[in-house]
Amino acid sequence: MIAGKLMRGLVVALLVAAGFTGQAQARDLRININADPEMIDPVTFSALIAGDVLRNVYQNFTRVDETGKVLPALALKWTASPDNLTWRFELRPNVKFHTGRPFGAKDVKASFEALLTPGSKAGLQLQYLQRIVGAKEVQDGKTKDLAGVKVVSPLVVDVNFSAPDVLFPVYPFMFFDTQVVADKGPNWFMQVSAGTGPYKFAEWKRGQSVYLQAFKDYYEGAPKIDGIRFIIVPSEETSVTMYEAGELDVLMVASTDLARRIMRDAKLKAEAQTVSAAQINYLGMNQNLYAPFKDKRVREAFCISIDRDAMTRGLFGGLAQPLYGQITPGIPGYNPAVKKIAYDPERAKKLMADAGYPNGRGLPPLKIANLAPFRNEVAYYADQWKQNLGVTVDLDLQERATFLRSLNAGETPFFSWGWTADYPDALYYLSQVWYSKSPFNRARYSNPGFDALIDRATITPDNQTRYKQYAAAESLLLDDWGTCGLFVRTAVALVKPNVKGVVLAPMRMLPYGKVTIG
Amino acid sequence: MAAYVLRRLLGLFPVLVAVVLLTFAANRFVPGDPITIMLGDQGGNLQLERKLRREYGLDRPVAVQFADYVGKLAHGDFGLSFRYPGVPVTQVIKDALWISPLIAASALALAIPIGIALGIVAALRRNTLADTGIILVLVAGLSIPNFALAAFFVWGFALKLHWVPVAGWTTWQHAILPVVLLAIPAAAYLARLARTFMLEVLQQDYVRTARAKGLSERLVVWRHGLRNVLVPVLTVCGVIFGGLITGTIVIETIFNIPGLGRIAIESIFARDYPVTMAIVMLFTLFYAAINFAVDVLYGLVDPRIRVEAKR
Repeated sequence: MIAGKLMRGLVVALLVAAGFTGQAQARDLRININADPEMIDPVTFSALIAGDVLRNVYQNFTRVDETGKVLPALALKWTASPDNLTWRFELRPNVKFHTGRPFGAKDVKASFEALLTPGSKAGLQLQYLQRIVGAKEVQDGKTKDLAGVKVVSPLVVDVNFSAPDVLFPVYPFMFFDTQVVADKGPNWFMQVSAGTGPYKFAEWKRGQSVYLQAFKDYYEGAPKIDGIRFIIVPSEETSVTMYEAGELDVLMVASTDLARRIMRDAKLKAEAQTVSAAQINYLGMNQNLYAPFKDKRVREAFCISIDRDAMTRGLFGGLAQPLYGQITPGIPGYNPAVKKIAYDPERAKKLMADAGYPNGRGLPPLKIANLAPFRNEVAYYADQWKQNLGVTVDLDLQERATFLRSLNAGETPFFSWGWTADYPDALYYLSQVWYSKSPFNRARYSNPGFDALIDRATITPDNQTRYKQYAAAESLLLDDWGTCGLFVRTAVALVKPNVKGVVLAPMRMLPYGKVTIG
Repeated sequence: MAAYVLRRLLGLFPVLVAVVLLTFAANRFVPGDPITIMLGDQGGNLQLERKLRREYGLDRPVAVQFADYVGKLAHGDFGLSFRYPGVPVTQVIKDALWISPLIAASALALAIPIGIALGIVAALRRNTLADTGIILVLVAGLSIPNFALAAFFVWGFALKLHWVPVAGWTTWQHAILPVVLLAIPAAAYLARLARTFMLEVLQQDYVRTARAKGLSERLVVWRHGLRNVLVPVLTVCGVIFGGLITGTIVIETIFNIPGLGRIAIESIFARDYPVTMAIVMLFTLFYAAINFAVDVLYGLVDPRIRVEAKR
């Protein structure tokens, strides 16, 4: 009898030690993420998985729908002053933080100040504050008051800039109730949730899961489900099996290999959502490091001798689209009329001959750099250049950190690589990847005409006018064969038929505020 | 006995020193660097790189870093994780601490009775169909790799029969497949040993004597056979446990279990030196502890060893 009790006690103790909780999964949406979030607080936020989680907890002035349209979120209206040096935001009334306090103009200011505070370890958002008047003074610790942000009334805030910043309303900010820092200390984010989003952060079990709980006072109405459980599943194989066994409601598919396998399985394919990802993949040709690239004819020859249709059909099994420009569909400013790049081996051969390299003869040795996971793509390009131009291009597969470092230093003569949009506007691609002064202009392309158009666009608040400037800048870049687009990957997610309201958008999943589980 | 225990504990100290030294060296001298990984898209931003290197103390000579690390370790401070900014190593591994040893110990606890029972049955039925059948199963259990068997088990027991969940670590049912899969090769190995030892024991003079004086076959096997088989079998249990602990690395990845094994793999890839080192040290400690326990158990099973220790 006593032994039996002891035994039972021992078993219970063991189960507790093992971390078993036996939680009831009421009406939770269960989604896989392939690693722990890098962080869980809005200040240091700077990475992909953290973003997938935090977008449901913290919100911005605006949001973007699946077609790329910018819609009001915490701001209902935003207007630029005639000199473009001030944005006025009229905020949404009756918005409550998860802490119960109301959201207003003072919280916009306080969130910015929290990011700028010395030692805040602020992540992604910090770069978007640099042009606000007084930002540097706060960052240097000279004052705690961010002079450029003025609380006009409880729901109206003015932001003043030293130089125009027309995209300020779409930057991915995450406003939070800064009072929690005073209440709970610097590690507040593990104890309380301080956003305005449809879900509040409840629990993070490292290596296991992150749980978000429905926020009853959400301004668009409480979510219809109890919460979201992001289950950490590093192995992609395991995640598919879990989805098939009904242990996941939504499967985020990371690799193209898995996506291809899913699309070949009729049952899984019926549950798939697909969308073109907001990521350009382009050819980087550094004219300073490889002399033949100075000749436009050589650049064009390399670009038009790749059969993009065959590649996206064959190599990607249809899970990619050819990319002709440098902006992806679904991102505001995308030009659907961008000129197609025709696959033309004959012309390519002739161009090479005209440039003095008939059949590739006389061309110095050339290597194309990338990472091992993408070797199929580069091997395909190299094969096309061998066949169509007679040029032997070696593969230079590098370790990720080394590769990025050398790209950023502008030390890679020839590469293919991608760039993923952080905020919904075409300027993100054009100004970060091809503007001559950008640190991420990894091919070190420089075109004063292009730069001038981008400079103009950054001070043009009117969307349509600005989009025209993008189109002009993009065609300058493309006509000069400064680069060429290669492909846009198709993002894939599986959603169980009884789950409604999950929307896969170019910039990953939209927040899960409207999800229902039948 | 106390002196014996003390001697064993002291013996552990140089082992740990060697482990710290070797893992520290291995971590630092393999290619790759945590700061460049941390920088990601910002790679090549020298100003940021210098700042991070200073913050993590990686700008100092390796010898200084080592001395600093050992000094902190002596005070029980494992340092901060590189992968999770500002999070102490103890925090990262806290929840995972008992998972791997628990899985390994459960697998061992399952493997010992099954393995010994199978081995003895095979030995007693030597050269019969039962013996051949058991040997066939053992060879299969030893030679089919864990991960292959895992895929098959998941398909059958989780996807088709729905007896157990596919993966995760929230209910005790989640532990069934991982423990069974780990136990299979261990049980097979133990069974082979038990069979060999039993056959040997059964040919000993004292067994013949026991039979000659008219003891029942059951008593012969239980009292004279089994006890003598247990000693060598227990010896290998320590080694087997070491294998099981490392085996959890694969099993935890397949079954998505947030144990030390999976964290070890992730931290190695992320060049999270402090976490990797802490886990290697913990694995060493577990290994040492189980071997120590085995040594103490010897004494209980085999009185001769107790006598030796007393002298």
